[in-house]
This record gives sequence, structure tokens and C-alpha cells, in this order.
Amino acid sequence: MSPGVLVVGELHDGRVVPSTLEAVGVARTLAPGPGEVVVLLAGSRSRAAAAELGAHGVGRVLVSEDARLDTAPAAAIAVVATAAARALDAGTVLVGGTTFGRDLAGRLAARWSATAATGATDVVRDGTALRVRRPVFGGRATETLRLDGPRCVVAIRPHAFAAPAGSPSSPTLEAAPAVEIPAPLLAARRTGVEPTSAGAGPGLTDAAVVVSGGRGVRAPENFRLVEELAAALGGAVGASRAVTDAGWRPATLQVGQTGKTVSPQLYIAVGISGAIQHLMGMISSRVIVAVNNDATAPIFKVADYGIVGDLFQILPALTAEVRRARGT
Amino acid sequence: MEIVVCVKPVPEGETRLRVRADGKALDPEGVKFVLTGYDESALEQALLLKEATPGSRVHVVACGPAPRTEEVLRASIALGADLATWVEATGELASDPLAVARALAAAVRAVPHDLVLCGKQAGDHEEGLVGAALGELLDAPDFGAVVDLRFDPASGRLRFQRSTEGGQEKWESPLPCVIALQQAWNDPRTAKLPAILKSRKAPIAKVPATPADGGRSIGERFELPPPRSGAKMIEFKTPEEAAEKLVRLLKEEAKVFP
Repeated sequence: MSPGVLVVGELHDGRVVPSTLEAVGVARTLAPGPGEVVVLLAGSRSRAAAAELGAHGVGRVLVSEDARLDTAPAAAIAVVATAAARALDAGTVLVGGTTFGRDLAGRLAARWSATAATGATDVVRDGTALRVRRPVFGGRATETLRLDGPRCVVAIRPHAFAAPAGSPSSPTLEAAPAVEIPAPLLAARRTGVEPTSAGAGPGLTDAAVVVSGGRGVRAPENFRLVEELAAALGGAVGASRAVTDAGWRPATLQVGQTGKTVSPQLYIAVGISGAIQHLMGMISSRVIVAVNNDATAPIFKVADYGIVGDLFQILPALTAEVRRARGT
Repeated sequence: MEIVVCVKPVPEGETRLRVRADGKALDPEGVKFVLTGYDESALEQALLLKEATPGSRVHVVACGPAPRTEEVLRASIALGADLATWVEATGELASDPLAVARALAAAVRAVPHDLVLCGKQAGDHEEGLVGAALGELLDAPDFGAVVDLRFDPASGRLRFQRSTEGGQEKWESPLPCVIALQQAWNDPRTAKLPAILKSRKAPIAKVPATPADGGRSIGERFELPPPRSGAKMIEFKTPEEAAEKLVRLLKEEAKVFP
């Protein structure tokens, strides 16, 4: 496998997203030397966004300033990424653990005849191969894969790696290889984005902190206690199936086997008993806190910290304490 | 519209996971395999589109070993799929996502396909690579984590949404197209007994898997986490004391306070 490592970056509102920086951190551990990580950015704002990568130890950025890529699917960017990987003779391409990163990983792997893995929490070189660890079965197990081949694509897991610091420097900018993008890929396009409002559902799978409410919240109007704590922590709001089935909150907020799977740094379950259905959506969270008035609730078996008490008293106190601690 | 749905058998949700004797994979002994929830949503979407678009057919395709793969194909027929193709594969050909995508692409290419649907990932290994790889191999656009998929017959285009890190995205795409669906947003139907009985005798086309190129993804180790020892319970007299203790633990011990 060629030692070269390419990171395919993602821009949101003209800024490099955190998961791209996390991928850069992994790339630096795999690249043969410092400053040898190359990042590809695509879209009309890629040149401006490239500058901030210098602070994270990136020495070289390829930019494809094709404005059509601003609203094109990941499949179109995979065409550019494949050309870039070939031009660099890279052996490994890394992407962030976002929806874009997942789409790109599969597309690029097929186009570049590579082997691939997603959701990686550990990526190391093993001779000519890569060894990747990743949670599976909703975090109920972990597998180690050996990616054996001349070309590998890896999407990392969100929050599993830190964005690297580096001495501020200006990366060299170059145009990405010019390549023709097939017409059907440009005929598909994003027609709009409604930005995620603070603490609302869409950020759920990406949030570093998730606060979820369950049946114990008792009524839809009480759910604001959960939302206030989530807001104080800068996190996202989730809900158990009981809550979404009852229509207290939309189904997009449901965490569980039939809803979303989340793996934040901190998961706080409020008034949630801990049915297996729910556990399968959050068990891979790094630290779990449970607040419940029933000391025998199964959630306490999987939690790291437990508070047995009345959530209507605990939550306001906790929100106030969090605000104090964060100075907000 | 000719709709192809790619499905995968996965262990039933509440299966107690065990490690195979060689430590490299899940022990499938005694495990009941079912359609993954993401694929149930994909199949439901296909059936809704078929019902809304006269003259449509739903063709279900799966790649994997006997008997589980045949079982989920029959379950799909019982739910309303018209045709079924089974790419019989074992070992790495059934577990390496790129090998599976290549096998599925070959099977899909051989049949009419305007729209290819699958789950955005399967509930077992959760790679989410197959849909995107299928798009590339079929020379069609692909999209993951899709909800609220609609076909506009006037323009011949698909319109759909995705919840991503950036917000709620609206998209449109021409056909043919590969769509990998989010799970459980459309309340999948359940099969009725007469349909289940009938599905047992339904024909299933069988095609062999072909070895793939481009490297391999090999399972080396499969591990279960040590059982969690239970929560550290916070003792307190007032809610304020509970809050103060928890914040301190999250900061100083767990180091996850934002």
C-alpha cells in the first residue's frame, strides 16, 4: 500500500466541519511524516476554507472550486476524490463520520476499487494493511477488521478522535485534478437546507451531548425541562419511543432500535426505564447518566452515574448548576 | 416503475450475542435472522411507490448464505414483493460490504431497474457502504439516510429529505437512482398469514456470487464489552446537592463535561 494519505473534507456554510478535522488527526498518525497530510476540499468556498486547516497541521490542500459541487451529491465529489487519490498515488483515503462521509466512503471505494470500513474508533497500520476497530450491533459488540489491499477508504466515527492542534501555518493550495463529472450526478441536487435549530432533532446523531426524556416526564409540556438541560449543555434532545409514540415529540427525536442510534460523549436519560429497545440506540455512548425515581429501573444497570429522585426537582437544579459551571 | 429493493438478513433485535469459537465473528448458532429494520423501511417505501404508480413491480434482491437469505426473501414476498433474486454467497463474499455491493450490482444490472432502494445500513455491522457502492457500480446517483421519498410523475424526478449534521436537507434526483433509507420513519406493514403461506412456494431466482477485486475486508476479532458494573449512585439530601455532585463527577472523573 502506498503510504500517502488523503482526507476528503466537508464544508458546511463555508467552514470545515469538525468531523473532517477529526479525520485529519487520524491521517496524521498514518502519514509517513509531518505535514504530509493532504486534504481535498470541494465547492466554491473551498479556497477560503482551506486556510483554517493550517492550524491543524495540514501542509497541503487540493481545492476544486467548481460551484456545481456546492449542491451536488457526495457521489459527484467522489469523482473528484478518486482523481485526486490517483494523482497523489495515495493508499488511504479518510473521511469524517457524517452522512456525507458515509455516502462518500462507499462511492469512492467502489470507484477506486478499494476496500473500506466506516465508524472507525481506531485505525492503525499493520504492515501493508490497515487495522480498524469499530462498534457493531448498536454498540453491543466491537469488531476488528483487517483492510487488506492496495487502496483503503475509512470513515471515522464522530467524536472518537480529537481534532489535532498544530503550529499555525499556511498550507500550500493547489487545484485538484480537473475531471469530468457524469451528467446524472449533477442532475441530482440539493434544493434547500433548513438549518438545525439549537438542540433540535437533526443534530441528534452528531451531538457530543444528548439529553433524552421518557415516559417519566409525564406530559408534553414538561418536556421543556429536558430541552432546557440539553440547551444548557449545548447538546441535542432525544426521546424514548413512549414519548414519540404518544406524539409529545416528533419521531425524528426517537433514540432506540427503531429510531436513531447515538454515541455521544455524554448521554443523560431522564425518566427512561431502559427497555432494550431504547438501550440499543444509546448503549455505545461514552458516559451514561440516568435520572429516574425508580431505583430498580434497568437503565441504572447500564448507566455510569445514577440519580434516584424526582426529575421535576432534579432537572431544574441540574440545569442551573450546568449554567453556573459553564458560565452561561 | 421497476423498483429493486436490496435486503439483508440480520440477527433479530434482542438476540443475545455470542462470539464464535475462533473469536473472529458472531456465533450464528441458534440465532434467528430477520429483515433488518432499515430494509423493512425500504421495502415499505417500495410497496407504497408501487401502489401509487400503476404498472410498477417490486423486485427484492439479497446476497448471503442459506437458509437465512432465502428466508428474508420469502418474508419480503409475503409483504408484497413481486419477484426475488438470491445471490448465494458465504464467508467473505457475504460479509465484505464491497464484495456484497458488487454481487448485488451484477444481479440488479441483469433486471429492469428504475429505482434501487436499500436500508442506509444493516442493524448488524452498520457499515452503510453497500448503497453508495451500488450507486457507483450502477452509474446512478445515490443518497443515504433518506426519508420522505416521493416520485413526481410529471417531471420523472424523485424528491426526498435527509436529516444530516447540517440540518434538514431537501433533494431531487432523476431516475435511475439508488436510495438508502433511514429506519422506521414510515411504519412498515406486517405480513398476513395467507401471504406468508403463499410466499413459501414463490419462485426465487438464484445466481452465484463472483469473487471481487480491489482488496478485502477481513474480520479478525469480534468482542463483547465487559458487562457494565452498574451505575455509581449519587447520594444527596437536596436536588442542588445532587446537581453539584453530578457536574463535579462529569468534570473531574468522567471528563466529559462540555
